[in-house]
Amino acid sequence: MERCSLVLTHQDRERCILTLAGAVEVLKAETVVPTPSPEAEVTGCFAADLMSDVLAFARPGAVLLTGLATDQTIRTASVRQLLAVFVIEGKQVGGDMTEAAREEGIPLFRTPLSKYEACGLLMQAGLRPYRTGVTLAT
Amino acid sequence: MDTPPLSHHEFPILGRAYFLGGRASTSVRRVLLEAGVGEEVIQRVCVACYEAEMNVVLHARSGYISLDIFPDRLELAVFDQGPGIADVQLAMTPGWSSANEEARSLGFGAGMGLPNIREQADAMELNSVPGEGASLKLTFCR
Repeated sequence: MERCSLVLTHQDRERCILTLAGAVEVLKAETVVPTPSPEAEVTGCFAADLMSDVLAFARPGAVLLTGLATDQTIRTASVRQLLAVFVIEGKQVGGDMTEAAREEGIPLFRTPLSKYEACGLLMQAGLRPYRTGVTLAT
Repeated sequence: MDTPPLSHHEFPILGRAYFLGGRASTSVRRVLLEAGVGEEVIQRVCVACYEAEMNVVLHARSGYISLDIFPDRLELAVFDQGPGIADVQLAMTPGWSSANEEARSLGFGAGMGLPNIREQADAMELNSVPGEGASLKLTFCR
């Protein structure tokens, strides 16, 4: 498997995987708490500020894009077994959050991008959504 | 006579101690991993446990989590001393919440806690005495 670059053909997307180091590059992110496994595969992405949604819908191995920079974000990521947390909009990450990330072993990054742009770039880099069809609950 | 659990564990929760919110649930996760419980079950238990723990942190004065590990199931109970739940049926409605701004600033309080818990557990029993507290009993098949 090869690393994804920013612009991919359909065939590229089919055969490449996105690593955490690749996601950091794509999101132009700064490392707050480093990952011990930069080559780990990012298996999905979930973008939310509401932790109940993360608990209900995110899948293990996904990265979380969030505007919520608190230690609850880290504990949620830990409980849901997410791969890493990216704080969007270049928001400041406080000592409590950094401390929680070290304690729980959750890699933590800051990206200057908006949540929308970050999602778009990850999708462009070949990361597929969990669901491609849409079904509304009745 | 009922078979006793393989092990019993308790984890305290402090009301309003927002910075500690979630610690008990991550401890529950460690205990379940050490007990050799499967990852899929751990995920379900921990999601429900975290939501329940945050309910105590956000609404009650204090509480605790009790975890009993049986060969075929896990029993998780969360007890608290606090205002209780005035209308249990209403509290189960997705989107209904009595949480304040502080809860919302932590990413909770959107009224999805109890519905999320019900989704994860195989059996759920919620009781409350208004003015005294609430108790939530959950069973997860292994």
